[in-house]
Parts: sequence; structure tokens; C-alpha cells
Amino acid sequence: MHVTWKLAEGREIKAEVKDGLNLMEAAVANNVPHVIGECGGSLSCATCHVYVDEAWIAKVGTPDRFEDGMLDVAEAERRASSRLSCQIKAGPALDGLVLWVPEP
Amino acid sequence: MSGTAADDGHADLGSHDSFLNGPPHATFARLRAEDPMHWSDWSGGKGYWSVTRHADILELNRQPDLLSSARGIRMEDQTYEEYLARRTFQETDAPEHMETRMKVAKAFSKPVIAQFEGVIRDLCGPILDEALAKGTFDATKDIARQLPMRMLGRIVGLPDEDLPWLVEKGDTLIANTDPDFTDHVLDKMTTDEFRMMPFNSPAGAELFVYAKDLMRRKAEAGDTTGVLPLILQPGPDGSVLPEHEFRNFFCLLVAAGNDTTRYSIAAGIHALAHDPALLRQMQAGDIWDTAPDEIIRWASPTLYFRRTATRDFDYHGKRVREGDKVIYWWISGNRDEAAFAEPFRIDLARAGNRHMSFGQGGPHVCLGMWLARLEVRVLFQELARRIRTIEPAGPHRYLRSNFIGGIKELPVTVTLN
Repeated sequence: MHVTWKLAEGREIKAEVKDGLNLMEAAVANNVPHVIGECGGSLSCATCHVYVDEAWIAKVGTPDRFEDGMLDVAEAERRASSRLSCQIKAGPALDGLVLWVPEP
Repeated sequence: MSGTAADDGHADLGSHDSFLNGPPHATFARLRAEDPMHWSDWSGGKGYWSVTRHADILELNRQPDLLSSARGIRMEDQTYEEYLARRTFQETDAPEHMETRMKVAKAFSKPVIAQFEGVIRDLCGPILDEALAKGTFDATKDIARQLPMRMLGRIVGLPDEDLPWLVEKGDTLIANTDPDFTDHVLDKMTTDEFRMMPFNSPAGAELFVYAKDLMRRKAEAGDTTGVLPLILQPGPDGSVLPEHEFRNFFCLLVAAGNDTTRYSIAAGIHALAHDPALLRQMQAGDIWDTAPDEIIRWASPTLYFRRTATRDFDYHGKRVREGDKVIYWWISGNRDEAAFAEPFRIDLARAGNRHMSFGQGGPHVCLGMWLARLEVRVLFQELARRIRTIEPAGPHRYLRSNFIGGIKELPVTVTLN
């Protein structure tokens, strides 16, 4: 699937992501700044916080209880579109996904 | 700080004495090169596997379903009863671990911790001024040992008069294999009567009582200072941290908040005393985004955590059996040539520093990592501002422990700016 990360500075990073990978791993592999993933995708650090583009919110879905709790820990302001990108799995249904990376 | 004379590449990693001259780096280097999944028999109990490569630790650490934290995280064997009595949330797996983590994470999040920078700076000043005025002093005792508990005290909201007592208890808990810090040296006496106590230690039992009392005092006084109210308030889903969990968590805070940052600071000061270029670099001031993580990589105060295999699996040609203990040697991963250019050199400007001192890459990544980074940054900023030179004033001594690596005695001489 194809993903676009939009950075606060205006730059865009586009990448082809293998199905099954999570979007934190994909961001780290593509050197997307400010997506760190200190806990390796195990929902323990909130350093992979992103805003899902409005057009994609329904398809990406909502956070579960634990992710909801951990989103409160993120550095940037929490919004309705906030997700921890380690909890979003790449797949055909999300081809073309757009994520906004918060500036710390 | 590379391998010592006693470390011939075949040091017994299960022996605390092998770490008396610092970590046995020659042994770790040999294992990374020759035997990355290494079995050792152990005089202290069941044998264990050592994982020493950075990439391997990362790969295994992200599989907590295969390698569990819920059967103990130190080398020593525990019965299930001992485990239940002594565990903190470090010693749990999902979903239990997440239940606690969710409730306490906010208090130690980057934005909440960042608000304490001024408080930390105010604490650093007098401690540094008093120590530096002596000219020659023990930097671990007079600086590194002083700051972390006082900072934790301010952040959690503990009364100042309780702090020396808490430092002492924290020392006893973690440094329970060094006779300088405890009367109950773990591997040198029968500690059967303490088996059910946190960290195998009567100090753990005392901290339990303190924590319970603290909770009551805070509630009665309507005290809302520090992050404790954030920990005790209902979580996003309305659930509250039960008292026994708070008690365990508090014990963990005292132990973890006490020792690890202390030894990061000590390792950093030791490095400054041996390489004047580092101090000049700090004084130039453009390395503060990267320097704290490099100092913490270098220090690697928590040398390992253990996991336990939940089923049989093969790794590097070895068959790991269900119930086998598997040790992630963070100290070795932090010196892995495959992960770091010149790993035995301190590079305060090191970019993309994927060190593992905080157990990065797994669910148990250090809750206090933002606090640790902030404390290290502020302390070294304040130190570098005050001194012109710093030199060793005698031999330094390491903690007797294969679990916590640290310089427990660090004589230095300074001249002031």
C-alpha cells in the first residue's frame, strides 16, 4: 500500500509499505521525523503519535481502550484524529493513506 | 572502560564479582562475535541464555508473548508464591501490564515531566555548589547520589525530610548484592525470611508501609503537589490504581528513580574527568539534544533484564525450552559494533542513537525515561557551567552487581570557573 506522511514544516514523505507492517515501523524505516517508537510498537510509549487525515478516519478506525489511555501521554496535543501509528496495520484497505505528523 | 585484566573473554556473567572492575566487555564482545545465543550453567540456580547482540535483543524484546516478564526479571529463580508477593508491574505481561501502565504513564509523560525543568535546575545548584567548593570530593556520593532522589521527591511530591531515609532504602533494595549498601547481601547469606518481600529485602517491607501511609497523608491533607495525584486519579476508563499496586509501584519508583540516574550521572562525570574535550564540548553548548542519550548509553546502568520462554523455540541454532531464562544484556547491546560506530567512544553529538539503556523496543520501556534524560541534561548543563577542569583524584570503584552497573566511588578534583 502507499502512504503519505505530511510534516508540519510542509514536506511530504511518500512510501510503499508492505502489508502487515505497522505504520510506526514504516515511518521509522522511511526516516519520518518525530515518529520514534521507543517501545517497539507495544503500546507503551506514545512516541509514534500521528493525526489521521480526515478522509481516512473512518477506514482506519478508532483506538481501543489501552491506546485511548496511552494517547493521553503523547507529547503533541490530542485530537479526534489522533492515533498511535504502531496500532495501524498496513493493508490494501488503507492504500493511499495520509497521516499528519505532529511537531513536538 | 574496556575489558579488564580479569576479563579474559570468558567471565562468569552470573557472578557479581565479574563486574567489580566494570562490565566484562571482552566477554560480551566475544559472545556477540562467536555465540550470540549463549548458554551458561549457573551456581546460583538454573542456567540461563545470554542474548548480547543489539539486533537480537530488539527482535526478541518485541515478542513478550514468547518471552514473558511474568516469571521474574532478574537472574535469580523464584517460586510462584515469591513472584506473586514481590512483583511490580515490571513483572507482568499484557494485558495486566497495560492496565497499570495506562494509569501511571501520564505522570511521567514528556510534557508533564518537562514542566519540572526549573525545579530540577534549582535543586542542582546548591548540591553542585556545596560539592564543588570542596575541590576534591567523591562525585558519586556528593553529586550523583544526592540528586535523583531529591528530584523524584519534588516530582512525586514527597516531604524533603523523608528523602535521606528513602535514598538509604532505595540503595538497600537495588544494591542488594554489594556489602557496602546492605547487611543482607543476596548471594552471600540465607535471605529466606525476606523471600516474600519486594526485592528480597526488609527495606521493601518498610517502603510498603511508607507508601500506604503516604497515600493516606496526601489524601487527608488534600495535597495536590507533584505527579502523585495524576497517578491516584481515575484513569481514562474510570478505574483507579488499587492500593497494593500503588504500594508496589512506589517501591519501584524509589528503587528505579534512585539508582539508575545516579549511575548515569556518575558515568558521565567519570567520562568528563578522563577526557577534557567532553567538558569543552558541553561548554560550547550545541550538543544538548543528543548528549543525555549518549551519556545514558555509555552508562547503561541497568545491565540486563531477564525474560522467560513461554514455549520452545530455536534461535541461532540453539533450542530454547519453555521455562528457560533468557537474559537481555542491554550493556552489551549498547556496545555492539553493528549498531554503533565506535561504540567504546563517547560522542556527545551521536545522531540516531538507538541505545537500549531504557529497554527500548519492548512493552517495558522505562517509564521514567523522559525524567532521566531531563535530569542528566540539566545536571551536566549546570556542572559544565561551573567548572574549568575536572580530573580523577584516585581510583574509582564499581558496584558489586551484575544487574546494576555503576561507579559507587568516584574521587575527582575540580577547578572552578
